[in-house]
Amino acid sequence: MSNILKATKLDFSLVKPYIKVICFTMLLPIAFAAINRSLLTGISFAMSFIAMTTGYTFSITEKNSMERLFGILPVRKSELVIGRYVFVLALGVIALVISLIIHPLVLRALGEKVGTSDVISAALSGLFLFTLYTVFQIPGYYKYGSIKGRVFMYIPVAGFLVTLLIISKMPSIGVSVIATIGSSPVLLVILVITLIIVMYAVSIWFSIWIMKNKEV
Amino acid sequence: MDNYLEVKNLSKSFDSFQLHNISFTLPKGYIMGLIGPNGSGKTTTIKLILNMLKRNGGEVKIMGLDNIADEQKAKSEMGVVFDTNYFSDEWQVTQVEKSISAFYPNWNTQRFAEILRKFHMAPNRKVKELSKGMQMKLMLACAFSYDAKLLILDEPTSGLDPVSRDELLQILSEYIEDGEHSVLFSTHITGDLERVADYITYISYGELFFSGSKDEFVDMFRIVKGGRDELSEDLKVKAVSFRTFPTGFEALVKTEDIGGFSDLSIEPATIDEIVVFTSKKGDDYE
Repeated sequence: MSNILKATKLDFSLVKPYIKVICFTMLLPIAFAAINRSLLTGISFAMSFIAMTTGYTFSITEKNSMERLFGILPVRKSELVIGRYVFVLALGVIALVISLIIHPLVLRALGEKVGTSDVISAALSGLFLFTLYTVFQIPGYYKYGSIKGRVFMYIPVAGFLVTLLIISKMPSIGVSVIATIGSSPVLLVILVITLIIVMYAVSIWFSIWIMKNKEV
Repeated sequence: MDNYLEVKNLSKSFDSFQLHNISFTLPKGYIMGLIGPNGSGKTTTIKLILNMLKRNGGEVKIMGLDNIADEQKAKSEMGVVFDTNYFSDEWQVTQVEKSISAFYPNWNTQRFAEILRKFHMAPNRKVKELSKGMQMKLMLACAFSYDAKLLILDEPTSGLDPVSRDELLQILSEYIEDGEHSVLFSTHITGDLERVADYITYISYGELFFSGSKDEFVDMFRIVKGGRDELSEDLKVKAVSFRTFPTGFEALVKTEDIGGFSDLSIEPATIDEIVVFTSKKGDDYE
């Protein structure tokens, strides 16, 4: 087993006692989906909520002064960081898959139609939202700890508002580019996946840099 | 490999504290006590050895391996016990093993179980349910389970009751019995070292005061006692430090300087006395 997977497994064992709480977190978005009769709303809420729980590993580490354990383990700091990202991403993917099974079932039970395109667009949106939250949060947690670092969660919200402002003032050529991407599902999928990869790569690079310069 | 730990000219600067040129060597098969008053740089030295702090200068070799270039390999040969537990308090003892054993190729599950039995530790107990002494034993059990050759303990006895402290010292003595393991043991409870340490490294306010055998350290000084009227100017000059009481005085004097005071009471100095008097050097007190 590679050191990265060992680090991922260690993070899982940190969060394991809190799995019930995390599962409970996923119940509320089902209610949102049912009230709004929208899969997209439900999945977006679910992924936003799950993104908030990624701070658990940092909180538990801080609470138990476990940075000392991480400091004595025979692994590189970069491997510990990447291992944490793998854990966070795995948590997000699992939550997404479970939500994509439960939410459509609930909506169908309520008489709503849920097509394949709805599922795909909800999955992409959910994954993108989750990425957007976590790529800012995790370096924030590494740099400022689990309490102060929480403020980084609001960067995507601010970014979203700025984006809306930019789009409203964008020249027509820019708007037409966005419309073209939006109208082509394949292009949209490629763009979203590329963005997710790039954002995680930059975030991981930042987190490793922070950890390499951090003194315990 | 004769030396398990070699520290050479280790330096670290903080805004309000500097550790200067710390050098010492811990041979294989021995216990070294790292002593000094609070804030003298013991924990900083240990964190620099573990590469948890960035050094400003110097070199650290663990079993011949550079502590930065060969960090992973060096750490797989090392066990570390801090003054407080570093496992998740929600973990059960068995989960501690599951969580960290994967990192150590030499981990022996059977040995871990044996050590738990020896330490009378129930595998299903949660870490938070264990006493401080038991938590310390759990950290030791982990280090012993992958046969760590070098054990580093940072103030392990602080906060332990006398029974737990005695048990720890017994465990450490057994650990080095085969001559294949070494221990670096930071403490300000110097009584522990009188019993188990072979070597002493004494850091005083960021400076290395002494590093060598315990016997040599203790033999360097004597305690001279007498009535207040017997405290001569010559003794005041020669004493490393002295203190006076309503009934008399006590002074720490270098063994080589005690020749002129044979009419006074001269006793061997304990490690504690040496640390106390040398920490007050230049600041004699009543």
